[in-house]
Amino acid sequence: MIEHKSWIPVALSTALEPGTSAGTLVGGGELVVWRDTRGAAHVWEDRCPHRGMRMSFGFVRGDHIACLYHGWQYDTAGQCQYIPAHPTLDVPKTIKVPTYTAAEKGGIIWAAPSSEAAEAAIPVEDGEVVPVRSIYIDRPFAAVLAALTNANIPAFTGDTAPRFETIADGIVIVSTGADRLLIACQPFNPTRTALHLVIQGSAETYGGAGQKHFARWAETFRLLLETASTPVAEVA
Amino acid sequence: MPAITLYNYDLDENSFRVRLMLAMLKLEHATIAIDMFPGQEQTRPAMLAINSQGTLPVLVDGDLTLAGTEAILSYLAKAYDPARTWLPEDAAGFGRVQGWLHFSATMLENAKQARLQALFDTPGDETALRAAARKAFRIMDDHMTARHFDGADWFVGDKPSLADLTLFPSFALSRDFGIDHDEFPALRLWIRKFRALPGFFTMPGIPDYH
Repeated sequence: MIEHKSWIPVALSTALEPGTSAGTLVGGGELVVWRDTRGAAHVWEDRCPHRGMRMSFGFVRGDHIACLYHGWQYDTAGQCQYIPAHPTLDVPKTIKVPTYTAAEKGGIIWAAPSSEAAEAAIPVEDGEVVPVRSIYIDRPFAAVLAALTNANIPAFTGDTAPRFETIADGIVIVSTGADRLLIACQPFNPTRTALHLVIQGSAETYGGAGQKHFARWAETFRLLLETASTPVAEVA
Repeated sequence: MPAITLYNYDLDENSFRVRLMLAMLKLEHATIAIDMFPGQEQTRPAMLAINSQGTLPVLVDGDLTLAGTEAILSYLAKAYDPARTWLPEDAAGFGRVQGWLHFSATMLENAKQARLQALFDTPGDETALRAAARKAFRIMDDHMTARHFDGADWFVGDKPSLADLTLFPSFALSRDFGIDHDEFPALRLWIRKFRALPGFFTMPGIPDYH
């Protein structure tokens, strides 16, 4: 299991439709993020105990996720419930995928990689949000964070310079002009970092053009960081 | 014997593009299997007499023999899609679809080469091919991210077109050469929509289940 003391953002809520799964990494460890057909999100280790296949290659049926290789089906607690090759078998309780506590808040799916993290509150306010995008940058977590809190993020509405409030490790609220963004950083692997961006505001104000505005900024930010020859904090 | 014949190799993603188009247009056709790997049969005299370029796929429709994946797709859409959705009639839509067909033949060629290298040990710089393939997928993901903001599900216009059809296989097959779908959320949503189209079917490397 990955040891982290706080909640880790792993995806935008809107990026995962009911009945689908996606793989991701936290600190280089493979996770599957999946949503059952009733809409609840789950985050597990991305490994079928049978042959080690990534569960994120598999498929969701109702509140079970099945491995692509041999169809072993797991319930929402990670417990294997059905093995197609042995349909009458009462599956041993030891066949279980390690699970993380998962939650959704502020437009983002979060995983608690430790019991210590799960007991803490997710440091984000509820309220209306407009999703922008997740962006994956080939730079380490610390470098991305240093550049982010010095970044020039042009406002969509208003024109005051951006202000940054770090509310938890890697979780930043940006106030730029009249806009408020939540940027949640995911330590993907030692050389790569994911940013999950949402606008804290209304779809009426930000739907379409506002989303494009901040998505374009994120793409420019990625380009600047990845092409920087000088330390990233100075260019972004 | 149907009028249309496809010279095909099942593991060739360009042949799959044409198989998909034929299925989605519900066109009866004959398929002739060509031993691309390891035989390189498409470069032998018998096949060169049909297609001097020595490539697959090759489509024969009556008196017409066509090579070049994008040309075959465009021809089939023009000839057999009276609704003009796969290849739009309007100049801007036509241009945009041609743009993605060009992208598929150029930038996505890296993904095609990376896959062939992983499966068949063909020559090339593995690291460079994968990096270039990933760059192409990012361009696609950025595009579909912006499209979703406009409420659009497809690369061009409000219906699936040849743009979607030609881009789908390389991304769907990317795990063959070690690029996961983890970093491309907009493309994940898009391939799910594409898989639900009438006539869709898979090839080896693309899971049947989803």
